Amino acid sequence: MESVKINARQLFVLIVLFEHGSAIVIPLGVDAKQDVWIAILLGLVFGLLLFFVYRRLFEYYPDQPLTAYLPQIVGAPLGKLLAVVYITYFLYIAARVLRDFGELLLTFAYPETPLFVLNAIMALAVMYGVYKGIEVLARTGELFLTVLYLLALAGFVLVFVSGLVDVTQLQPVLEEGWGRVWKTVWTETLYVPFGEMIVFTMLFPYMNNPVKVKRVGLGGMVLSGINLAIIMAINIAVLGPDAVSRSSFPLLDTIRRVQVAHFLERLDVLFMIALIIGGFFKISVFFYAGVVGAAHLFGVSSHQRLVYPLGLLVLLLSVAIANNYIEHIHEGLKIVTFYLHVPLQVIIPVSLLVIATIRRRFSQPTK
Amino acid sequence: MKRPLAVFLPFAVCVCLLSGCWSKKELTDLAFVIAVGLDKTEDGKYLASFQVVNPGNVAGAVQRGGGAAGVPVSIYTSTGDSLVEASRKASEKVSRLLYYAHTNLVVVGEEVAREGMDGVFDALERNQQFRTTARLVIARGHSAKDTLSVLTPIDKISANKIIKTLEFSELAWGQTMNADVWWAIRSLASPGRNPVVTGVVIEGNPKEGKRQKNVQSSVPDARVTLKGLALFKHARLIGWADGPTARGIMWVLDRIHQTNLTIPWGGKREAIGYRIVRAKTNVEADVKNGQPSILVHIKAEGDISEARVPINLADTGVLFRLEKQFERGVKQEVAKAIETAQRERTDVFGFGEAVHRADPRLWKKIEKEWHDRYFPELDVTVTADLYIRRTGLRNRPYIEE
Repeated sequence: MESVKINARQLFVLIVLFEHGSAIVIPLGVDAKQDVWIAILLGLVFGLLLFFVYRRLFEYYPDQPLTAYLPQIVGAPLGKLLAVVYITYFLYIAARVLRDFGELLLTFAYPETPLFVLNAIMALAVMYGVYKGIEVLARTGELFLTVLYLLALAGFVLVFVSGLVDVTQLQPVLEEGWGRVWKTVWTETLYVPFGEMIVFTMLFPYMNNPVKVKRVGLGGMVLSGINLAIIMAINIAVLGPDAVSRSSFPLLDTIRRVQVAHFLERLDVLFMIALIIGGFFKISVFFYAGVVGAAHLFGVSSHQRLVYPLGLLVLLLSVAIANNYIEHIHEGLKIVTFYLHVPLQVIIPVSLLVIATIRRRFSQPTK
Repeated sequence: MKRPLAVFLPFAVCVCLLSGCWSKKELTDLAFVIAVGLDKTEDGKYLASFQVVNPGNVAGAVQRGGGAAGVPVSIYTSTGDSLVEASRKASEKVSRLLYYAHTNLVVVGEEVAREGMDGVFDALERNQQFRTTARLVIARGHSAKDTLSVLTPIDKISANKIIKTLEFSELAWGQTMNADVWWAIRSLASPGRNPVVTGVVIEGNPKEGKRQKNVQSSVPDARVTLKGLALFKHARLIGWADGPTARGIMWVLDRIHQTNLTIPWGGKREAIGYRIVRAKTNVEADVKNGQPSILVHIKAEGDISEARVPINLADTGVLFRLEKQFERGVKQEVAKAIETAQRERTDVFGFGEAVHRADPRLWKKIEKEWHDRYFPELDVTVTADLYIRRTGLRNRPYIEE
């Protein structure tokens, strides 16, 4: 572990950027059609419950990351195995987000560039950031969050001013009852992006003021959840549920619709900047968690020594995990959710908390 | 060992990162396609026409008074089984790469539209260069190619001329619609709405229209003019709505911004003019006993624009009766538009979407037969509230009784 500390504001910034990450650009939860914003808000509510589980674990082990207290909870052999699983998971998701990023850029901006080249450039930036450490990432985040918010505000104003928002497209609300919404919550919006907060169990120990973790995490998640719900609601109101569900990147389509006063148009670049900022921080956080976890588990003195080898691994993995975008998305939504997200974000942390609580209760009298 | 590497590495990185864009294209290697036209050839293939800007002649023509310079646009055509194929094949004729990011107009030939535009737009919305904010019109009576070939005065690039006409005519008059490709796709994809698209005709001789001579005369031999709204049933053009009927459609679609109404008064036809400056239409569906009905409510305000009979406009009672008369006029237009659409069995108003919003369950049942069975029988109530706010710079007209 690095010996640096980050303050509450920096953790907040990292959480917000991480949660927005790729979620603002991908068609998140569009199976719920015009009720997607409800699905996101419900995902947020249950995501907060998961966050309380993660935070309680952190409260039990305030100066250790997840991979360090796993062996203490379930015993060394199983705990270390689980730690390896988590490290692999973080690196794999880093590779997945990197792939997302490359695919998005390729689809709409650089159709003739090889995927590897785009991914490599992003991976280099991520590796450099992670090499410099969490504090540097967090401070960069403070800078970029401002940029992202200014962009978002400009985008909002432009979308509204150009008169594109047609609220009737959000109707009928709950057309097919709650079933479709709940299905989206349980299969998509709960895990991405809210359940992914599990990665922050690796970062909480860096907080200089551990008491504030709860408030910061809560604030960051609620803000991000509301933002995401608003963004998706605007997408639906501008494009209609049909177009949103057929679009590869709804937000891009929304921004491309903007035409104000004959010169504020073709603002695709706003979308590009949001994509690159969000993508960078999401990959960095996952990658950082994987790298410090591995360094800790295998007793490597400094995490920096692992950045470049693991970075190369993530880069190659990002290109190798799927043959095409459809396969990549299918894996992400159908396979990863059930075989990775559900056990690693929900089942294992909850059982860990149960075991840890029982252990503490029974070890209390002996103290 | 370390020093040479430290020097070499930054150089290597710079070479990789600063060597320019991956797939760069010089400006002089691009042909900016400003409009795309679509027709059918006799053997059933697509005939695509590309209006390419001739950059040197656009600015130059203005300076030289449009005289000696060449034409500002050039038309290339090519055939293919699909739009993309035709576009790629056009490279045999164009000396530059066709570039679609600035394509602002799509003209579909009436023949193609009558056969069905089913798959036409997919290539347009899938491509990342093309923008679905491009305007869409139907070439009425002539081919899309001829329509794009006509040279135009004032706005040298004829695509821009059509786009601007669409925009300002909708704003000022409201019998044509400034619709884009997006709107057409959205209407085609929605089961409760069919598209309407503005028609474009050539007035005059299209053969003369493509010569530079056309813009050297104050009355050009050929002019491109907007005319009417094409009614679609799903992807097929089935009829045209013109004049007041077209405006009736625009009223229901809530796309009237400003326009002028004329009503009879005191035994004289077309006596009083009313200029609308603000209008808003609400469409609501009501379902009673499983039977949907539609309520269209129009609200507008404006001024008296013309009074050609003696009338005391300073009298509020008269104004009130005038308002009622104008309301009748608007309601007649709208009723006629609805009647036309019901006769053609195509819901171009999006009433189906309103029913969908009001009763999603009922909609699921009737969705399939909406246009053919339910819409033609639909009970539509039109109400209008028109307000005369001012009478202009005069109250009474100079004509005395």
